[in-house]
Amino acid sequence: MAPDLPPPPPTAPAAVISAALTDTTVQVKSDFRGARIVLYGAVFDPAARPSDVVVLVRGPEQPVRITRKQKVLGLWLNSRPVVFRGAPGFYRAAASRPLDDIAHFGTLRRLGAGIDHLAINAPAEQRTETRYGVRDVVVSRLGADYYIWRRAVVRLKEKAGLYHEDDHGVRFVDRGLFRAAIELPAGAPTGVYRADILLFQDGRAVSSKSRTLTVEKVGFERALYVWAHDRPWSYGLASMAFALAAGWAASAAFRRD
Amino acid sequence: MDIYLPIAEVAVNAPLIVALGALVGFISGMFGIGGGFLMTPLLVFFGIPAPVAVSSMANHVAASSTSSVIAYSRRRAVDFRMGGVLAAGGVVGAFLGVELFRLLRLLGQADLVVSVSYLVFLSVIGGLMLWESAGAILRRRRGQPPPPRRDRRPVWLYGLPLKMRFPRSRLYISVIPPLVLGAFVGVLSAIMGVGGGFILVPAMVYVLRMPAGMVVGTSLMQIIITTGLTGVLQAGRNQTVDIVLATLLLLGGIVGAQFGARASSRFRAEELRAILAFIVLLVGLRMGLGLFFAPDEPFVLMSGMG
Repeated sequence: MAPDLPPPPPTAPAAVISAALTDTTVQVKSDFRGARIVLYGAVFDPAARPSDVVVLVRGPEQPVRITRKQKVLGLWLNSRPVVFRGAPGFYRAAASRPLDDIAHFGTLRRLGAGIDHLAINAPAEQRTETRYGVRDVVVSRLGADYYIWRRAVVRLKEKAGLYHEDDHGVRFVDRGLFRAAIELPAGAPTGVYRADILLFQDGRAVSSKSRTLTVEKVGFERALYVWAHDRPWSYGLASMAFALAAGWAASAAFRRD
Repeated sequence: MDIYLPIAEVAVNAPLIVALGALVGFISGMFGIGGGFLMTPLLVFFGIPAPVAVSSMANHVAASSTSSVIAYSRRRAVDFRMGGVLAAGGVVGAFLGVELFRLLRLLGQADLVVSVSYLVFLSVIGGLMLWESAGAILRRRRGQPPPPRRDRRPVWLYGLPLKMRFPRSRLYISVIPPLVLGAFVGVLSAIMGVGGGFILVPAMVYVLRMPAGMVVGTSLMQIIITTGLTGVLQAGRNQTVDIVLATLLLLGGIVGAQFGARASSRFRAEELRAILAFIVLLVGLRMGLGLFFAPDEPFVLMSGMG
């Protein structure tokens, strides 16, 4: 006979998150002026613990070349360009509350949640050296200016509408049901985007889902783009032949003698 | 009505670009120039990435020059032999220019070279033209006869070897000056996104001493061959030619050029030159201005390089 054990304390089942995008492909056509994708999702938590939702959308990685205007002999000239790696071509962080209130610095850094936590760096400018007896210390040739450069990358991307952080971009529309809008500007790069939807409870990410979104050129635009990049010489010859023919046709059309 | 440019990867307002083409076409028809020096800065101002603007202009200039060269050749106003020599130089210049532009973009100094080229060449040419045409206008107002043309041919031009006869231009000169001139203009066409007529035409008149009637038609021949090659090279090496952009510009440019050519008959030649000189000077100064003033945003993102 087994002794009568007290029933185990009720542990609430883990909370889960679920989400879907209204569109999974965005077609870039001649009238493309940007797009608005809506992400819907729900939090299932029988215990109804306080939950926060963070949505991170990342576009394909694009190295960033950036230069700084410097005054040399009274003229404003470009400095040597610096290449930053790890910069997504598009980035949007939306949350139900300010990110700093949702989780700690270390957690956000690990997840790359928030523009400040993106792993953007300039590897070509880095070298490792031994400092104060510590080996492999990463030192940037940009020195203390490194953060000014990195901030400039972010600022210029934000200006182009490519980077955005919205502390209230995730709205709870009903109990457990939320939505977030993703605005793609006309300059959004083509490629596969990844949306990570994270559920935070008590400062920890307890559940996550990821969805992909494809931005692709279609039809005539795509044909031209692919042609120009895969067979640049035949494209160049054809477009020049077209231009010359158009010029000849114009002169024939307006011939006055 | 926005249209997405597949190579430039930006959306532009189509009627605006066509209107821009028409405006520059009008000016180009009026003054008998390609108008690239005006079009390229305007395109950059309206948000087209500079490398795409420079490269696509080669196609546009080639097309618009073709439409006018046919009329000139019918009037027998093209010196094909001189055009061929200039174009041979232009071919070398185009190769050099496209590679130079590529290198400059890698070094991040393309902006600087473009600004300085515009500032120096347009200011000098514009200034000289303004000086010359203002003098001509003043002399006519005062009723003075035009100064006698100095026909003393420069020694350096005639002392050089490799002489060649150019029957249509009635010249017997060394091929070195036209070759060098053609090459120089070819380099500029790749770097500045211009046809180079604004340098070629005065140089042919004042340096090579070609008869005025032959100059424009022959310069167009050189420009077509050089920009034709530049356009193909830019597409092949840099993938920066946007044919949709060039076509939009051309639509406006063709119509504008016809009206410009008609309008030009209402002005005297020296008045036309004075107006053109003002435009050239203004564009040159505007392009160079950025070098002297502190920018609002010290950092600049450079368009992707593979």
